[in-house]
Amino acid sequence: MREVRNTDSTGYEMTTAKIDTNEVLVDCQNVWKIFGKSAPAAMNAVVQQGLTKSRILQDYSCVVGVSDVSLQVRRGEIFCIMGLSGSGKSTLIRLLNKLITPSSGRVIVKGKDLSSLNAKELREVRARHIGMVFQSVALLPNRTVLENTAFGLEVQGIGKAERYQVAERALAKVGLSEWSSRYPSELSGGMQQRVGLARAITADPEIILMDEPFSALDPLIRRQLQDEFRQLTKELGKSAVFITHDLDEAIRIGDRIAIMKDGAIIQVGTAEDIVLNPADDYVAEFVAGISRLHLVKAHSVMTPVEPFKAANPGCDVNRLIKATLGADINELIGLTMKSERDALAVVDDGVIVGIITPRDLLRGVQGIPNEFAASSVAAALETSA
Amino acid sequence: MNTPDFSSQFDEAIDSALGWLADHGEFIFDAANAVLTGVYKAVLWCVAFPPFYVIAALFALLGWRAVGTRFAIVSGLALLFCALIGLWPETVSTLALVLTATILALVVAIPLGVVAGLAPAFDRVVDPCLDLVQTMPPYIYLLPAIALLGYGPATALLATFIVALAPALRLTSLGIRMTPKHFIELGDASGVTGLQMFFKIRLPFAMPSIMAGVNQSLMMAFGMVVIAGIVGSGGLGESIYGAVRTLDIAKSINAAIAIVILTMILDRLAQSAVRSRTGEAQ
Repeated sequence: MREVRNTDSTGYEMTTAKIDTNEVLVDCQNVWKIFGKSAPAAMNAVVQQGLTKSRILQDYSCVVGVSDVSLQVRRGEIFCIMGLSGSGKSTLIRLLNKLITPSSGRVIVKGKDLSSLNAKELREVRARHIGMVFQSVALLPNRTVLENTAFGLEVQGIGKAERYQVAERALAKVGLSEWSSRYPSELSGGMQQRVGLARAITADPEIILMDEPFSALDPLIRRQLQDEFRQLTKELGKSAVFITHDLDEAIRIGDRIAIMKDGAIIQVGTAEDIVLNPADDYVAEFVAGISRLHLVKAHSVMTPVEPFKAANPGCDVNRLIKATLGADINELIGLTMKSERDALAVVDDGVIVGIITPRDLLRGVQGIPNEFAASSVAAALETSA
Repeated sequence: MNTPDFSSQFDEAIDSALGWLADHGEFIFDAANAVLTGVYKAVLWCVAFPPFYVIAALFALLGWRAVGTRFAIVSGLALLFCALIGLWPETVSTLALVLTATILALVVAIPLGVVAGLAPAFDRVVDPCLDLVQTMPPYIYLLPAIALLGYGPATALLATFIVALAPALRLTSLGIRMTPKHFIELGDASGVTGLQMFFKIRLPFAMPSIMAGVNQSLMMAFGMVVIAGIVGSGGLGESIYGAVRTLDIAKSINAAIAIVILTMILDRLAQSAVRSRTGEAQ
């Protein structure tokens, strides 16, 4: 995965000063959503008898939208939810700001249980802490780009001069300063979605919910917006929940990815986790076509040093070209090509912790993890902790 | 057979009910008559007091601003023509009647339409009532009106008001109901209050539909005002009614031309209002 580090946040008025990446901003606990007239009865049946989705449809004619989802979104993190249509991802994201009320379970945003808030408090949370960007963009056609961008602040009762100033800044961040007095119909689809993003960040929320924002755009513009979105979110130190049906998009954008199927999350992890250790056949099939070159890192494919030394007594491991634990396959191939020897040394804190041979690289390209690597990473993490 | 018996009983019941209403509610209807006549007189004074060329010039100016130069010239000349054929007093009194009835109807219909659009339960009550109002022949409204309010412009005003109510109410309700769902979601996700949702999101989307309703109401009112000549509305309606009774074809054609002129001018003005609102919302 590409590494886009959090840039220093000073110099941006819109960012929070210090980012504690362990702070959980959104916490979903065993959330269910069942649609239909007899949803409460169906929910009871699920709790007491553990009925399956198809039985609920049969017996109660209710549809299970989201089933028993728990997830945490941390500060500064981009959390992607990937699933095909009908997997419940759009329902799930709407539970996070209570556009849809869960049938069961709790959604806690910034330490507050959404179900415990009254109407005014809920409005406050939505207006100040959670921004949202829609697939349909939803720009008000009778307002200019600037007025649309300032909508969130207008709703909060912020004065015209101030809210337009903030909105201008947000538009500048998405590169649309010159379009502020135009109407949405004069903009292309990609530009409209940029306005949608500017509108979401104008109210300076910590959390941005993105509901398949780029799905309707053509591939080139989509990639461009994906990169811009990731960069902007990291720059501003925002957390984002990003819904998509496209695994490539999820990998490009997400720090962590959750795979959804039939309303349930079947796997959560980094792109590398998911590609190397798919939880089941469904996920495996999904990741089959994904290129490993940038996803799989040295720590996943390296082999132990001692057996290598034993097999190659004439080789001084200290003279091998060194690579870091985080170097991806593409980088490792490049290093191997430059090397006179058929091996690289993986270095962590100045100590050689593993060896990578072309054989290991090929396995990495195939996406088969290596048992030693997995255990050594766990050990390394333990010692560092 | 006792059918004739039943029907005569039914008719008697209606008659006596109407009679009872007229007797006991006299002060109410007198007051209503006074108010309606008063409003009508006030509006009439506004359009009848200035000389005809001033009114024609005002319409030409309005037409120029709203539609265009050609329309402005044609409408100005057409109004002068109404004065030329000696029907100016009738033309302005018809204009006053239509404007008064339409404005009163809009004042009632638009708020009710908003409520109907927001509350489906209320809409379910209003909808069949409107069906009834719109399917009955417009003459029907003249009879109870004349029984309760007597002969004169107040009766014509009431009947025209009833007829003009339905389209504005319907189209307002429709417009309010038709807010695209993802904009409702946008409002909710932005934390709007109920009032903000209405004024900032629902109303702008409903505006083209509401303006279409205004135009429709105006046209319905024109149709009714001519019919209301029978009950002494005054104006062009009464001229036509009088001409029909005396078979004075020439006079009826003159009055008909004046009505067509007035209708077309107001229709085009109202349509341009619809277009400018719709254009804004695109």
